[in-house]
Amino acid sequence: MTQTTADAAARTAGYLADLPSILGGNPRFIEILDRLTTLSERGYYDPYKLFEWPDSLQEDAYWMSPELMTVHGTEAATKLDEAQLHALSKFESVNFYSLNVHGIRELLTEIVARIHMPGYEVASEYFHHIIGEENDHMWFFAKFCLTYAGKIYPDRSMSFAVPGVPEADTFLLFSRLLIFEEFVDVFNQKMAEDERLDPTIRKINKVHHQDESRHIAFGRQMVALLHQDLRTRISKAELDDLELYLKRYMRASAESLCNPAAFRDAGIPEPFAVRRSVIADPAFDEFVHRVFKRSLAFMTSEDIFADGRIPQR
Amino acid sequence: MTDSAAAVPARSGDLVLDFLMARRPDLGVIDPDYDLIDNRVLDSLGFVNFLYVLEEQTGREISLDQVSPEDFRTLRRIRERFFDAEQ
Repeated sequence: MTQTTADAAARTAGYLADLPSILGGNPRFIEILDRLTTLSERGYYDPYKLFEWPDSLQEDAYWMSPELMTVHGTEAATKLDEAQLHALSKFESVNFYSLNVHGIRELLTEIVARIHMPGYEVASEYFHHIIGEENDHMWFFAKFCLTYAGKIYPDRSMSFAVPGVPEADTFLLFSRLLIFEEFVDVFNQKMAEDERLDPTIRKINKVHHQDESRHIAFGRQMVALLHQDLRTRISKAELDDLELYLKRYMRASAESLCNPAAFRDAGIPEPFAVRRSVIADPAFDEFVHRVFKRSLAFMTSEDIFADGRIPQR
Repeated sequence: MTDSAAAVPARSGDLVLDFLMARRPDLGVIDPDYDLIDNRVLDSLGFVNFLYVLEEQTGREISLDQVSPEDFRTLRRIRERFFDAEQ
């Protein structure tokens, strides 16, 4: 790419100058934001009084739905007995909530950077609700991890700055946030209703799902609007690159559930080798497509993706 | 192993090189000073898998509080930062 820093800055500035009309020029988007704001006000709750937090949860039980564990259906799972699966479910669930904590940290950073800034006037009122609700979520996920595992698994991601398509930065950001929220919500919905799980586990998943359904409705509108505009600004080849990037983001998000530290904490030998085996297993590829089924359907219905296949690499 | 791979510091081991070559088999060889980030052999989305390869190879957990993207820019830098430090 031959674009200079000055070129990129000029293209970014030009795009941001148009953002008020992209977002503010759509009456349906504004109507949805008003409705979501009303729903947030109506559903307001105090998370600090909502949960009971027993001192401990039963160890000899599943902590997450077995079908949502990364090893489900894989060759690696056939070598684990039920006690190991119970232990792994505990640490994979703690890893899942830890990923939520870190995902929310990124979301809050990005939303705070945009609230009441030029271009985001129409969304700023709802951003206040997102920030408040996400802070609550981060608190109860962190509380769960610290109470029942004594730790939050560290963030293992690192960002490498490389030149991209300046006009696409905003679209990619809100797409990543939406994809992550939808991904998490698949787990929340299933675990909120799973009677094999402790009531505390079911409740944090249920509460999160209730709030996230609003954030997802917002994210879908935002991403669809931004992409409709983007199609008039950048080339087909650049749009194809964005699709590939977001699909790789989906796979990377699913792979982040498979953490060697969780295998180690569950007492499973050779955690790195087990992880390699799991993510290379055809059952894991099926898992990736299963947990992103709804996101893939949305992305293809909005012509953001040409198809619903997530490449291996 | 290719000539260039032989030029890769021996202590960096095969897992690291295998991972990078699998990401970009079209390169054929990777020079120790080849910019892995600018040339997108290593990117944000592939980083976690690479981190686990490094941790497995070095036998220790790498705290991201103590590293920066520059530590991963070339094979030479990776060797110096994560393997030579062991000596």
